[in-house]
Amino acid sequence: MGDSEFAYGSSMSVDSMKVIAESIGIASLGDDAAKELADDVTFRLKVIVQDSLKFMHHSKRQKLSTTDIDHALRVKNIECQYGFIQPDSLPFRFASGGGRELHFVEEKEVDLTEILYAPPPKIPLDVSVRAHWLSVDGVQPTVPENPPPLSKEAQKLESVDPISKLSKPTNKDAAGKPMCGKAARLKASESVHVKQLATHELSVEQQLYYKEITEACVGSDEGRRAEALQSLACDPGLHEMLPRMCTFISEGVKVNVVQNNLALLIYLMRMVKALLDNQSLYLEKYLHELIPSVSTCIVSRQLCLRPEMDNHWALRDFAARLMAQICKTFNTSTNNLQTRVTRLFARALQCPSQTNNETGVGPSMVTTMKESEKTPLASLYGAVQGLAELGPEVIKVFILPRVRWLGERVEGALSGLGGADRLAAGNLKHQLLKVLAPVVRQLRQPPDLPDEYKRDYGYLGPSLQHAVGKVRASPAAGGGGGAVAVVTCTPPLVPAPPPPHVSHLAHVTHAPKTVDTMASRSMVISASPAPQSPAPSTPPPQKFVIVSQQKPPQTQPASGAGHIVVHSSQPTIVRSQNVQSVVVTSGPASGAAPAQKVVVVGVQQPHHHAPPAPALVSQAPVSVVAKPVFARGGTPQQPPELDDLSHLA
Amino acid sequence: MGEKNTPLLAVLQLLRKYNLKGTEDILRKEASLGDVEFENLDLPEVELASILTSHHTESDPYSYEFAYDNLRKFIENSLDIYKYELSTLLYPVFVHMYLALILYDHNDHANNFFEKFGAEQEDYCQEDLKRLAAVKHKDQIKGNELAEIYSTNKFVVQLSRDASSQLKRFLQEQKSSTVIINIINNHIQVEVHDGPGRTQAQVRATAGGMLGEATRNENRTKVYYGLLKEPDIQVLPAPVEDEEEVEETPDKPKKKKAKKEHIFMKKPKSDPNAPPNERIPLPELKETDKIEKGKALREASKRIQLGPDSLPSICFYTLLNSGHTAICTDICDDSTLLAVGFSNSSIKVWTLTPVKLRGMKSAEKLQDIDREAGDVLVRMMEEKDRDTCRTLFGHSGPVYKVVFDPFKTMLLSCSEDSTVRLWSLQCWTCLVVFRGHVWSVWDVRWSPHGHYFVTAGHDRTARLWATDHHQPLRIFSGHLSDVDCVQFHPNSNYVATGSSDRTVRVWDCLTGTQVRIMTGHKSTIFTLAFSVCGRWLASGGNAELIVWDISTGSPAALIPPTHTAPIHALAFSRDGTILSSGSLDCNIILWDFNAITEEAIGEEAGTNANTTVQKEDKFLLRSFATKNSPIKGLHFTRRNLLLAVGSYEGSS
Repeated sequence: MGDSEFAYGSSMSVDSMKVIAESIGIASLGDDAAKELADDVTFRLKVIVQDSLKFMHHSKRQKLSTTDIDHALRVKNIECQYGFIQPDSLPFRFASGGGRELHFVEEKEVDLTEILYAPPPKIPLDVSVRAHWLSVDGVQPTVPENPPPLSKEAQKLESVDPISKLSKPTNKDAAGKPMCGKAARLKASESVHVKQLATHELSVEQQLYYKEITEACVGSDEGRRAEALQSLACDPGLHEMLPRMCTFISEGVKVNVVQNNLALLIYLMRMVKALLDNQSLYLEKYLHELIPSVSTCIVSRQLCLRPEMDNHWALRDFAARLMAQICKTFNTSTNNLQTRVTRLFARALQCPSQTNNETGVGPSMVTTMKESEKTPLASLYGAVQGLAELGPEVIKVFILPRVRWLGERVEGALSGLGGADRLAAGNLKHQLLKVLAPVVRQLRQPPDLPDEYKRDYGYLGPSLQHAVGKVRASPAAGGGGGAVAVVTCTPPLVPAPPPPHVSHLAHVTHAPKTVDTMASRSMVISASPAPQSPAPSTPPPQKFVIVSQQKPPQTQPASGAGHIVVHSSQPTIVRSQNVQSVVVTSGPASGAAPAQKVVVVGVQQPHHHAPPAPALVSQAPVSVVAKPVFARGGTPQQPPELDDLSHLA
Repeated sequence: MGEKNTPLLAVLQLLRKYNLKGTEDILRKEASLGDVEFENLDLPEVELASILTSHHTESDPYSYEFAYDNLRKFIENSLDIYKYELSTLLYPVFVHMYLALILYDHNDHANNFFEKFGAEQEDYCQEDLKRLAAVKHKDQIKGNELAEIYSTNKFVVQLSRDASSQLKRFLQEQKSSTVIINIINNHIQVEVHDGPGRTQAQVRATAGGMLGEATRNENRTKVYYGLLKEPDIQVLPAPVEDEEEVEETPDKPKKKKAKKEHIFMKKPKSDPNAPPNERIPLPELKETDKIEKGKALREASKRIQLGPDSLPSICFYTLLNSGHTAICTDICDDSTLLAVGFSNSSIKVWTLTPVKLRGMKSAEKLQDIDREAGDVLVRMMEEKDRDTCRTLFGHSGPVYKVVFDPFKTMLLSCSEDSTVRLWSLQCWTCLVVFRGHVWSVWDVRWSPHGHYFVTAGHDRTARLWATDHHQPLRIFSGHLSDVDCVQFHPNSNYVATGSSDRTVRVWDCLTGTQVRIMTGHKSTIFTLAFSVCGRWLASGGNAELIVWDISTGSPAALIPPTHTAPIHALAFSRDGTILSSGSLDCNIILWDFNAITEEAIGEEAGTNANTTVQKEDKFLLRSFATKNSPIKGLHFTRRNLLLAVGSYEGSS
């Protein structure tokens, strides 16, 4: 027992006594007196603390609180200490100087008037009783009120070290399934131990649940799907069904990629998302099924029937974000997940010249060259997106050196004939600019000369230079905080990617109650996916929609809050987004009648900050703007379409 | 006061204490002590004793360390059959040597002594040693609870005859130093028992009391642990049948009757261990109480037989938004009401059924009611106010325990404000405030037959009260530290108490004397529960759970520690087959009580199978974890459904 010093030895020091004496105005306390005092104070403190432990125990707590000390003082007939109620634990601060070291509790001066005029604190919620079944005939049901049968740590341990489970088989018996009946019989025979590693059979209820959930997830009823996904994301007892769920997803992706069924792929990805979000699940054991599925949805050549119309880009974006989330959560030094994923995407971007330089000789050299030559633009887009989600460092190393080659591809496609190709090229270009601009901004010093850019980056040079300029000009770009949108009412002629933080702007002309769709990327909003292939010279469609609103005088409240944003006929797009800032610009003249108000909602999408915030994609985020939309928009809420991608944003 | 005179003064004080005037005068003359010195003669008892017994050896602080080391070596080198019994000596000798060193102002030596040997004492002593270590000066002995206990009481050590003769031989060899002999003479009571020396496990099973083990003599008294003959069996059928007629369910009564008779039949006609029914005067049952009893019996006939193969269902009541404020809970016998005591002095009562909580009508309205009417009890209740929760205010400190009386008409609560309050569940007001305890009252329990209740508190006493007296009927004193929990025996004749001195004691309500003292707990005891048959007593402490046999006062089973935090709730299933324990570590564990008692009885019979290895699997049936909700109460309904109450403490 080496801790005896700690156990018996703690006492107040003579120095403390002197400091305390000083603080109350006794300048020179003798050593003897201080020693005497220190001993006495130590003894009394210990007695009081020991007594207060009794009160802690009887209050059925395991943490000592100030009230316990007060009660102990009362027993000793000492007046208790007033005003020492502190909701949190007080940190001890440390200071040293003049050869002395001090530990002290910071006491801030409190402004009484501030307290007096502060709004009264919220009344705490009243205590209420809620009943649930902790056990039914000796079996603990897996409802959210009960703890998960197998904790996440246990699942993690199991995936890393399966032996650990064998060594303590009683552990599971004691908590999870019943010991009596079958489990007990299983336990009796030795050979069954190995079998118990994974439960291979599902109870009838679990089978039913599986059926219901999978049907709802890929079915046509959006309401049920939301419920099913919610269940997947929250239910604590799913780990036994995980193998089946993952197989369902991976098989589903295989089939639907072949059939180009965009909607189903989206639903499957949403299932992946829900499983990833479930706090009680540890997916590592199933990554071998999930990662190929997700990466398929990122880089597959074709994901939908009509590439020129359907918005498979959003699926790629969403899947890329999922992939980044997976990498971030499960990357370890042993599985090298992120490295492998990065390599996967990087290979798709391999341009011929670099293949020569880097890999040098190799049997597949020629084939790679040919393959990468004809890598479809959509796959390139996916690869770029996948890499971009992994962070600026990855962008710098893997995308930037290939810009020249990518530019050539884009140039070729844009000048080519195929509508779909042109659209893809436009998207790719837009995406590249968006992704690269902040990285380039970090790399290069301010004088951005078009020639230099042209020289370094090829075809994309000038656009990139423009984009970087935009980023530099935007005040918020440096801080990375709240984005302030630059409002332009029409898509600019010069392709100008929006600043990195502002990727979505919403634009709805409200007064005539019509919805203008500005660009094909915002088809999410448009009620009917009208084929709107942009003219060749049109800059790549941008991810913003702007709301300009004719102020309806009768509905607008008299207060200055009139410029609260109302937009979007389909509220779903706003619902799932994190509103960062609301900027209002008035009509042409500031003094003029507020005929028109242009409202911009800047939405932050953490493209360049590694993890997508969970709130972004969660199924029921708190909506800030959504409510006024419903309240004042007046537009009838249309049921979401089958391939409505708004929830992916 | 001169150093030399101290022993003389001590002698003087002793003479005075025993009122030996003549000798006192002679001594004073001879020693030529003045009156002045004599006046301020006020040595503490403790010191007085030490001075008188050993003042001549006090001088040499090194002798202590040497002597202790010798004793330790002697014990280590003795045979295994003596070793473990003898080793129980080490701790008290250590403690008294330390106190003696402090007493003679060898503070530095005392410190060294403590540092050197403190850590090697048994692990369950460490908690006490920490408290003792606070004593670093002569004056502090008086202020320290523990040091006072040690110096005023004798520590009991049980040795086999052989072991004690070994010890005697050793002590005789130690002629040079009388330190150990003095300590053993003055502070340790060696109990010699016949029979072989005990094994390590056996010694450990009963060690741990603040003052060592219980002496055998203390547990000689016969305890009538059997159940009372149900006085109302003859009376019962009538009201029950009335009830059934009211219900008018034609086919049910037959079945019930058959089963009911089965239940009556099961009870032995005259239990030799049962006390006579009139041993303690029990209150006459009221008409309403009889109805309640009838209901209970009918419910009991429907209960599920539990066992290892049929575990109970558990319904968990979570107190939301209560944080750390909810302290104690109780569920009334018919499982319709839930009471919770809070640290903010309030008590809340919830109804667990759709039946709402009603108050009584005001006095004016009550006058209008026809008192002869059959449904007078229903009529006097207010019809308008119907709540699912009612709050009782009155205490001025945390409420440490609330209990419903067996007939669901009253509620008792005890609090830090040293009072016990009796509440009416009809008027929802406080009826009586029982004052008597000096400090906090930790626990209160009703007698299973109502009328009586027992309380326990920080003042080291347990008190027996009746609702119609404002003063306690009995005061049970003898515990050396706080009495932390009490429990009434099912036959209302005995009361069990558990204390911070780590003993469980059983007291006779009739005589007020202690009839059992049971040691073996290594920590404070927080909760007690009698088995349904009345023979066994389960006690829960800090993560440890022990079942005692009341008939002998020995531990029936040491249940291996499975909990990791204090156990604050224990409940037996109504058929006595399952023991459930709830702890602050958010786990409810079900134990196979039949297996526990069978083993205990088997051991007694001499078939001592060596099953210690298997134990864990043997008794433990299942554990259920809650979601961060420490268990504060457990209750089996009459049909053997387990109800548990806990407060959710957030997801942190």
